[in-house]
Amino acid sequence: MRFGKGLIEIDRELSDLDVFAMDFIRILRKHSKYVIVSGYVSILLGRSRSSEDIDIIIPAMDFPEFALLFRDMYSNGFYCLNSDKEKEAYSYARDKIAIRFAKKDDVIPNIELKFSKNKADEISLKETLKVRLGKEDIVISSLEMQVAFKENVLGSQKDIEDAMHIRNVAGNNLKKELIEKYSVMLRGFYKG
Amino acid sequence: MGFIRDNQEERFRFVEFWARYVREHDDREWSRQQNVIINSSLRSSRMTREEFLKMKG
Repeated sequence: MRFGKGLIEIDRELSDLDVFAMDFIRILRKHSKYVIVSGYVSILLGRSRSSEDIDIIIPAMDFPEFALLFRDMYSNGFYCLNSDKEKEAYSYARDKIAIRFAKKDDVIPNIELKFSKNKADEISLKETLKVRLGKEDIVISSLEMQVAFKENVLGSQKDIEDAMHIRNVAGNNLKKELIEKYSVMLRGFYKG
Repeated sequence: MGFIRDNQEERFRFVEFWARYVREHDDREWSRQQNVIINSSLRSSRMTREEFLKMKG
């Protein structure tokens, strides 16, 4: 694993989860900016666990744009678990409910797709890193934001372990003062 | 509480051990082992759309 400026190169053996993620992202990136957040970020970096879903944030979009994305997903072998109707799926996304996509005939793994809904999501979309897997790049949230979010907002045993893994693997490539800055911001934002 | 705390500390020790392994070994080596967990977990998970959405609330 090599850390560069804005890029992490990983010469990993691809898992079924990686192949699934890359299939989805090849379609998604034709329609929208995106960022992968949460558990799959730590898994990409080697964490010894699996996940049934991959969390992705995209900027909120209008219905016509969403309909094009939705149809492209269906014509490429994906379906929406929440609803097969694009208007209904859009209304969920617009109401800040994550919508899930899986490969036809499967439920797991799936993509949990959300419209950006707050400042933390906006920062995640803005402060990104590329991860190069073979010949393809995928976009993840900054590792500092991931660590801060997992330690200060999510906070389950699994999340604390994910953050610990990222801290240990990334080492000096992490900006500790940025983790602290995000931590203060997130604690204020999610207070109460 | 003692068991829970001991178990948590043991888990943290393993997270640190594994992260060091990832840092010090070739990507192909750690990912081959990680994929045993990921691929077997995904292949053993079988549920319907309704069951999954109910589980997720």
